[in-house]
Amino acid sequence: MDLSLCVNGRQYDVDVESGTSLLDVLRDEIHLTGTKESCVEGECGTCTVLIDGRPHDACLLAAHAMEDTEITTIEGIGTADAMSPLQAAIVGAGGVQCGFCTPGIVVTLTALVAEAPCPTEDEIRMALAGNICRCTGYVQIIDAVLQHTSDLSTCAESAS
Amino acid sequence: MSAVGTSAVRSDGPIKARGQARYTVDVGLPGMLHCVLARSTVAAGRIVRLDVSKARQLPGVHAVITAADAPMHRNGMLIRDQELFASTHVRYEGEPVAAVAAETKAIARRAVELIELELEQMSPVVDLDDAVAAGARLVHPEWQTFSMAIPCERYDNVANELMANPPGVDEAFAQAAHIVTDEYRAGRQYQAYLEPKAVVAEYEAGRYTIHVSHQFPFALRDRFADALGIRSSDVRVVGHHIGGAFGGKLDLGIEPYAALLAKATGRPVKLVQERTEDFITCPSRENAIIRIRSAVDAEGQVLGRDFDVLLDAGAFAGDTPFLVSIALFMANGAYRVGPTRVRARAVYTNTAPTGAFRGVSGTYLVFAVERHLDHIAEVVGVDRMAIRLANVLRNGDPLLNGQRLDDASILGEAFAEIERVAPWAQITAPTTTTDPTVALRGIGVAAALWVTNPLPGEATLRLGEDGTIHLISAANDNGSGAVTMGLRQIAAEEFGLDVNDVITTMPDTDVQGFDGGSQGSRTTHVVGRAVHDSAIELRRKILDVASKHLEADVADLELVAGHVGVRGVPDRRVPLSQIATLARGTVGSLNATASYAPALPAYDPSCASGFIFSTFPNPTYHVHLAEVEVDPVTGNVSIVRYVVAQEVGKAINPVGVYGQIQGGVTQGIGYAIYEGIDIGSDGRYQQRTLASYRLPIAPDIPRVEALLLEHPDPAGPFGAKGIAEPPIVPVAAAIANAISAAVGHQINSLPIRPNDVLDAIEAGRAKLQQ
Repeated sequence: MDLSLCVNGRQYDVDVESGTSLLDVLRDEIHLTGTKESCVEGECGTCTVLIDGRPHDACLLAAHAMEDTEITTIEGIGTADAMSPLQAAIVGAGGVQCGFCTPGIVVTLTALVAEAPCPTEDEIRMALAGNICRCTGYVQIIDAVLQHTSDLSTCAESAS
Repeated sequence: MSAVGTSAVRSDGPIKARGQARYTVDVGLPGMLHCVLARSTVAAGRIVRLDVSKARQLPGVHAVITAADAPMHRNGMLIRDQELFASTHVRYEGEPVAAVAAETKAIARRAVELIELELEQMSPVVDLDDAVAAGARLVHPEWQTFSMAIPCERYDNVANELMANPPGVDEAFAQAAHIVTDEYRAGRQYQAYLEPKAVVAEYEAGRYTIHVSHQFPFALRDRFADALGIRSSDVRVVGHHIGGAFGGKLDLGIEPYAALLAKATGRPVKLVQERTEDFITCPSRENAIIRIRSAVDAEGQVLGRDFDVLLDAGAFAGDTPFLVSIALFMANGAYRVGPTRVRARAVYTNTAPTGAFRGVSGTYLVFAVERHLDHIAEVVGVDRMAIRLANVLRNGDPLLNGQRLDDASILGEAFAEIERVAPWAQITAPTTTTDPTVALRGIGVAAALWVTNPLPGEATLRLGEDGTIHLISAANDNGSGAVTMGLRQIAAEEFGLDVNDVITTMPDTDVQGFDGGSQGSRTTHVVGRAVHDSAIELRRKILDVASKHLEADVADLELVAGHVGVRGVPDRRVPLSQIATLARGTVGSLNATASYAPALPAYDPSCASGFIFSTFPNPTYHVHLAEVEVDPVTGNVSIVRYVVAQEVGKAINPVGVYGQIQGGVTQGIGYAIYEGIDIGSDGRYQQRTLASYRLPIAPDIPRVEALLLEHPDPAGPFGAKGIAEPPIVPVAAAIANAISAAVGHQINSLPIRPNDVLDAIEAGRAKLQQ
């Protein structure tokens, strides 16, 4: 069954069985392997992608239902040459260990700061509730977001 | 120092954050086939019929293999008790019976459904006490035919038994003011690494290449060769990024199935476990029963002890015969205790084989010892902190193997650090409320010593033609940062370079020398020392070349900021890149290799039988304090404060050290209050997915307060000790003590889930009303 998807601003035409998950199309057909497969039941968040700017678990989405959406994967965050400031903050704060959860966490937090540029610690924790990290214990990831947003002049003003 | 002691950023951070790091699940090779395993759906049974003919005929299937196609001899880390495929009997739910290779994973799955397996079910051996009772059905009636890689004390369903029976125990009980007896239970814990086990295998010209995310590539190579009955030199293990491991990727796993299929089909074969498959077959931390009986005097001093442990090996021994030895080191925790009798048994059952998980048996042994100490304090009527401070180990005290601890007084310093930030009298002051809806508050404390794994490691340093340092080692970064931060920083410090000028390798057993794997906090300490030793040799070679070029005596040269210069003459210097180029034209490339193996402490070999892990080398010291709030209506527990005082020697990378502490404590919190695997009487796991197995999530976890103690180890690189494994060890103990204090009832089982809390609250109230 033919399918046309817009991923990271580029159109991809693939032919997959009806019912194939977006995750399988991304990893196996388009070869964007930054999105990770882990639990395949929407618990762990390693396959988080943005659908029209909102985070979703790609393992739970039927690829054919995504034809008229804009899909952003981890490969679509930052530029070809550089990490986004948020990515750099996560790396710098020790928010990456084994790294398998990291793409999903970066995607989730990118959506968070796009929607709420100056999140509180509780808001960051709640935003991360659908992303399991088995290595870090979350705190250095949370600190990275707080550090990142406190560097933004808008948040510094709203905090003061 | 410019590199050591800084929070340098890990070298693989950017590619991981961008989704560019390649894990084994991401590896694809031309012509690659996909493997799915057919596994037993019952825990115990006799194979009546196994028919794979329909699966073989399915279009797109290239091969189906069973026990008939695999080497028939058994394999195992310590006891060779395991078949690659079940041949006559299945012994746990999930045991492989066949493997399919097909064009796609979907075809392989359909083929597995066409495999006909007829079983005559048997009553599974599940309960540990039942398994060691006289007349129990044997999981392995043929156990006496198994060969051993290391001698174990075996009988019936016991895979190894440790016994220590020193004089004076019965005399201690005869003069005790109190005898305190307890039984503790701990459930299994799943490593729940996010990258499921995966392998891509190739077979070419008589050699296997195994692409894998594995903690210990050399052990995998040797175990694989032993299992297949081939030379270890006919196996090449190539390491990829590891998507979490925590001990679950230390032994031989699914690699032989992909490899045998690669040989059978002439194509590369990939096998990635599905989550439930991974969950129910992963070597989880073993469940255990710990029984302690202590003879106590009127002041709370323990005069003697009986310590008995049953730990569940599952259907095959794996590394559990090692773990019985840990009981000898943990039986008295971090405290002075009189003569102690220790018996620990690894027991076969018809359940998934268990194995290493960060902190191994130390987690539940410290839980038992520290819970028991709180109970003793209650019985004697002394303060829980006072009894610890009065009996904590001090310099020169022995462990039960006779090993002397020359630095154990660090424990007292750690207690003092905890007291500095969390004054005991203040934080444990009673609050008076009778409102049954107000959260109950409790404080718990626990101490431990923990080992640094002493397996040797090797590092080669080569001066690159551009003046960089190439660090070539099979040392493996499981995510901890030991290679991507620690070893790079140590090498950079040795040569006055920026950490980004140190390039590291991934493991490849064809290329690098032996490394003992990413386990037991060893990499920074052991391989870091090998880096230091090889740096001495490489610096000598560099200075030799530089001395000829600069026409100066070696003694007058210094290596600073990527240059060799004549001391005191700023313009007479030459960059390392030029030295490398000069060397290439004269003496050849400059490199140096060193291996390092920590010295093992002296011990008394007669102290016990069944003893495999004979010493506790390079111990570090730990005190943890937990404050909890218990919701009396729901039974939910919140960890509102968590403090760690930990001896680290020297923090090579403070952010990295903190990450190991915060992460280890988080896994410990999961073990203490969230993560439960219930095993039915049918031998099957009742939790089988990440939806039913509750892992810690971001809203659950407090910001751990970490207090680092630094007593440099003269043998470690820049004084560093092993730091990464132990932050999990005392956590369940501290939290269980805190919850018990909050509810006024001794809680003696892990995990402590909301229903357990509510039961304890009820029991605590009943006790008050008596």
